[in-house]
Amino acid sequence: MNPPSRFSPSPAAAPISHARRRSLVREFAIAAAVLASLSTQAAPPPGQLLASQCFQCHGTNGRAVGGFESINGKSADDMYKKLLEMSTRRPEGIMDVQARAYTPIQLKLIATYLASLPAQAATSVQR
Amino acid sequence: MNFNRRDFLKGLGLASTAWMLPRQLSAQSAPPHVIVIGGGFGGATVAKYLKLWGGNINVTLIDRNAQHYACILSNLVVTGALSMSRITLDYGTLKSKRGVNVIQGEALEVDPANRRVNVLVNGQYSAYPYDKLVLAPGIEFIPPDGNYREDLTPHAWKAGPQTLLLKQMLSSMSSKQTFVMTIPKSPYRCPPGPYERACAVADVLKRRKTGCKVVVLDANPSIQAEPHNFGIAFNDTYKGMLTYIPNAGVLSVDSKTKTVTTAAGKFTGHVLNVIPNQRAGQIVTAAGLANDPTGRWSLVNPLSYASPIHPDIHILGDSQATGQPKSGHMANAQAKVCADAIIRSFRGEAPDPNPVTSSACFSPITSSKASWLTASFQYDPGTKSMKRVEASFAEASSATSDGMQQMFQWADNIFADSFK
Repeated sequence: MNPPSRFSPSPAAAPISHARRRSLVREFAIAAAVLASLSTQAAPPPGQLLASQCFQCHGTNGRAVGGFESINGKSADDMYKKLLEMSTRRPEGIMDVQARAYTPIQLKLIATYLASLPAQAATSVQR
Repeated sequence: MNFNRRDFLKGLGLASTAWMLPRQLSAQSAPPHVIVIGGGFGGATVAKYLKLWGGNINVTLIDRNAQHYACILSNLVVTGALSMSRITLDYGTLKSKRGVNVIQGEALEVDPANRRVNVLVNGQYSAYPYDKLVLAPGIEFIPPDGNYREDLTPHAWKAGPQTLLLKQMLSSMSSKQTFVMTIPKSPYRCPPGPYERACAVADVLKRRKTGCKVVVLDANPSIQAEPHNFGIAFNDTYKGMLTYIPNAGVLSVDSKTKTVTTAAGKFTGHVLNVIPNQRAGQIVTAAGLANDPTGRWSLVNPLSYASPIHPDIHILGDSQATGQPKSGHMANAQAKVCADAIIRSFRGEAPDPNPVTSSACFSPITSSKASWLTASFQYDPGTKSMKRVEASFAEASSATSDGMQQMFQWADNIFADSFK
């Protein structure tokens, strides 16, 4: 199925021609500069991306929705020691294997980032 | 809420301004727009984390369906152990809590030169402009030769109506009937999935019917994931009722007679579950991005999942060709790397040079016991690829009831981390 040559506007995202869009983007950029910057994106904190690999099982920002342990807002030293122990002891559980994916430096970054996350009660699963 | 730039500019008296500015400045000042095609685990996660980490970024998620049916746990819907609602994931929280603009529509083609994607929404074609485009369409099937019809011989490898169709066929089997299934050539979606299905089906037939058989026809030379646990299941747990035949690639399918001809012979079942060979989602192929040596999957830079052909287009999840397994958990893992790289690029920064992607999953072996599998990948600058960390690659020593409990906890968390 091929789309027709004319595209009709959608109310959801107001499609516009490319030339018009570029023009609008530039104009907006100028306007934003005049209004002293809309750019608020901070540099990603160290360890954030690495630690986010824990979130599939331990919840977004380390707050598990049930079952597995929440890992946010704990002592960085304790977390690092625990991860290091898991990565070196004889593997039994899945975490002993998971922890082996990372270098000690990476484990330290993960532990430090997780410790920086606010400790909060786990949320319940909405279903 | 959509910000109307023109009205805003008019208000400032700047609407007719047409000075040239470098793209970098415009990208940094105006909220950049990221469009994500495909609302599965990869697409939902990248949309969520762009908002969670990115601050001032507009994110639009486009999927043809109003909700996603997870393949995770779907084999237990096939057996009747779980209901469809257990694997139905909507986009309500992504919209309300995360601020993602979700559109139900069919993305038809990409126009990389003009950075637009053409989408069919409510019967109307629309061109959506993007600064960055993420393609996470999952898989497309390569239909086998013969008169293959998925309504007669369901794959149930994209969850949804197909899951319910296979469930209905399985539950209507009588005593002494045979369930025949085929496993596609690697790589395919969810390496342990077909073996898990064989176990789930064998378990329910063993418990509910008398004298039923399961025939597993594998296109591959051996079990592709968790050979230890699935080997025990096939050789011991389901001994006498399950036959595993490797090197049995499908040559043709006759869906009307439920007969499959393979390299290892011809088989007929009362139920025939053909899981066809797979390739990247259609929109990836149509955009000329299925550029790996097989022509089926998309080569990307694993630091950002950007295409080397069109650096503003990122491809992640099942469609990519980095050698990482195709699964919901891995798609979530890659989506975080991709979101982080896109956010950095809007700041004029290079991607994180040392990403790790982590994969874990749980598979039911019986109705009360499950095993697990895990593998993680580190970026290798020498080969510019994601390399499996061998010490992080393992399966459970045995299927356990604890594993079964953890399987549901894992599902709850991966569902929430991707869709909530």
